[in-house]
Amino acid sequence: MLELYNMNPILISVLEVLLICVKVVVVSLILFMLPLPLTYMERKVAGHIQVRLGPFRTGPHGILQPFADMVKLFFKEDIIPSKADKFLFRIAPVISMVPVFAVYATVPFGESITIPYINKEITLYISDMNVGILYVLAIAGISVYGMIIGGWASNSKYPMLGGLRSSAQMISYELALSFACVGVVMMANSLSLMDIVRAQYDWHWNIIYQPVGFFIFLIAGIAEINRIPFDMPEDEGTLGAGYHAEYSAMRFAFFMLTEYVAMVTISTLGVLLFFGGWDGPSFLPGIVWFVLKVIFFIYLFMWTRFTFPRYRFDQLMTIGWKILLPVSLLNILITGLMIL
Amino acid sequence: MSNNSKCNISIKNILKKVFFIDLVQGLIVTFGYTFTKTITMRYPDEETWIPYKRFRGLHTLNRNKEGKELCVGCELCAKSCPTQCITVIPMEDKTGKGIADRVAARWEINLLRCMFCGLCEDACPTDALKLGRQYELASTGMQRQLRSKEELLAPQQIPADFEGGVIVKARLERDGDGVSVKPDLSTQKRWW
Repeated sequence: MLELYNMNPILISVLEVLLICVKVVVVSLILFMLPLPLTYMERKVAGHIQVRLGPFRTGPHGILQPFADMVKLFFKEDIIPSKADKFLFRIAPVISMVPVFAVYATVPFGESITIPYINKEITLYISDMNVGILYVLAIAGISVYGMIIGGWASNSKYPMLGGLRSSAQMISYELALSFACVGVVMMANSLSLMDIVRAQYDWHWNIIYQPVGFFIFLIAGIAEINRIPFDMPEDEGTLGAGYHAEYSAMRFAFFMLTEYVAMVTISTLGVLLFFGGWDGPSFLPGIVWFVLKVIFFIYLFMWTRFTFPRYRFDQLMTIGWKILLPVSLLNILITGLMIL
Repeated sequence: MSNNSKCNISIKNILKKVFFIDLVQGLIVTFGYTFTKTITMRYPDEETWIPYKRFRGLHTLNRNKEGKELCVGCELCAKSCPTQCITVIPMEDKTGKGIADRVAARWEINLLRCMFCGLCEDACPTDALKLGRQYELASTGMQRQLRSKEELLAPQQIPADFEGGVIVKARLERDGDGVSVKPDLSTQKRWW
C-alpha cells in the first residue's frame, strides 16, 4: 500500500504531472491506433451492404488487412511534385493532423475512477476546461487549413479545387454546427463538456429536448468530416481524389488518419452533447456505454456513406445556408423561450 | 380543386423532407442488405464452379467398359485441328489394350496452342476423345502444357456423367510448377 497523502508535496506534484503525461500518451496512442480497426470496419460494412464479403484473404476474415495497408503506406515512395510548394506541401498534413489530436485534451470519457490498492482517484479526461466545447470547435476548425494548404501547395488543378471547396464547405457548416451546440450549452448552462454531460444524467438526454439541434449537428457534422453525402473536397467522381490527389505514402496516411480521428471526434461530441455521454443503465460501467454509443455513431456515418449518393456543390451550399442556418437560429430562439 | 390537390402533394413532400422519410427508407434497405447472404464465390480457396457437360476444358481420352482404350490412332483429330497442336503416332498392337489392333503409340497435345474449339472431339469416330471440365491449367513451366496420352487416360476429376452447374467445396493445391483445384463433389450448392 502506498500512502500518497503522507509524501513530500513536491513529489506529489511531480507525480501529478507524470500522470497527465501518461494520460496524454495513452490517448494519443489510442487515437493513432484507431484507424486500424476503423478501416477494417469500414470495409466490412461496405462489403456487407453491397452483398460482398469485404477483405477476406489476409488472415482469418481479412483481419490483418489494416496491418498490410499500414506496411504498404510506410514503404511506398514519398512523391513530392516538382512544381509543388515544397515547404507548404510538407507541413499541410501536419497542420491537418495536429488539431484533431489536440481536441482530445478536453474531451472527457467518464467520471473519475479510483484505482484499487493505491486509493488514487484518476479523472478520465486530460483537462476539464470551462470553455471545453468552444475549444473543441475552435481547434477542430483549424484542421481545415491543412486541406486548403495541401490543395494549394500541390500546384495541380484538382487538389486546388478540392481545397477551395473544403474552405467554403467548412465555413458554411461550422456555423450550423456551432449553433446546434449553442442549444445544448443553454440547456446545461455551461461550456464545460463535463457539466454538459452531468446536466444530462438520469435520462435527461439532450436528444429528447433538442431533437432539431441533434439533426442539425448530425448533418453539419457529416459535412465537417468530409464524408459522403457531403464529401465535396475529395469528390472522387469529379476531382480525382480532391485535396490529397498529389499526396502519397505517409503524408497521405496522415490525411487519412485525420479523417478517421475527425470522425471519432464528431461521434464523441455527438454522444457527449446529445446522448448523455457515459450515462446509461448501471449494469455496465459508464465507459462501456460511452464506447458503445461512439461505435454506434461511427457505424451510422459508415452506413450513410454506403447508402446515399453525393450532393452537388450548389445543393450543399443551399442546404448549409438556406436550411440549416435559419433552422439552427430558430432552434436557439425556441430553446431560449422554453428556458425562460 | 386542382390547385388544392397540388398543395396537398407539396405539403406531403415537405413533411417527407422534414422527417427524412426517403433517407430513412434508403437506410433501411441498406441495413437489410447487410444481413443477406453474400454473392461472393470464394474461388479457388473454398468453393469452385462445376461447369455443365457442354463445357470444353482439358482433353480426356476414354476407355470402354472393359477398360480398353477407345483411341484407334486414326489421326483424324490431328488432321482436323486448326492449330495443329495434336500429335498422333499410331502403332500396331496385338496385346489387346485397345479396341482394335491399331492404337496410338504417342498421343500428345500442346495446350499452349490449343484453343479448345472441340473440332477434334467432333472428328473422333470412336468417341475416344472428349473435352472435359477441368480448366485450371496455369503453370510456370512450359513442359506441363504438353499433355501425353498417359496423363489424359487417367480418370477425370469430374466424372463425365456428373450434371454440373453447381458450386461445390474445393481447395487449391500447388504441385511443382502448377496449380490445381480439387473439388469435393459431395457438397453441392445452387448458384442462387
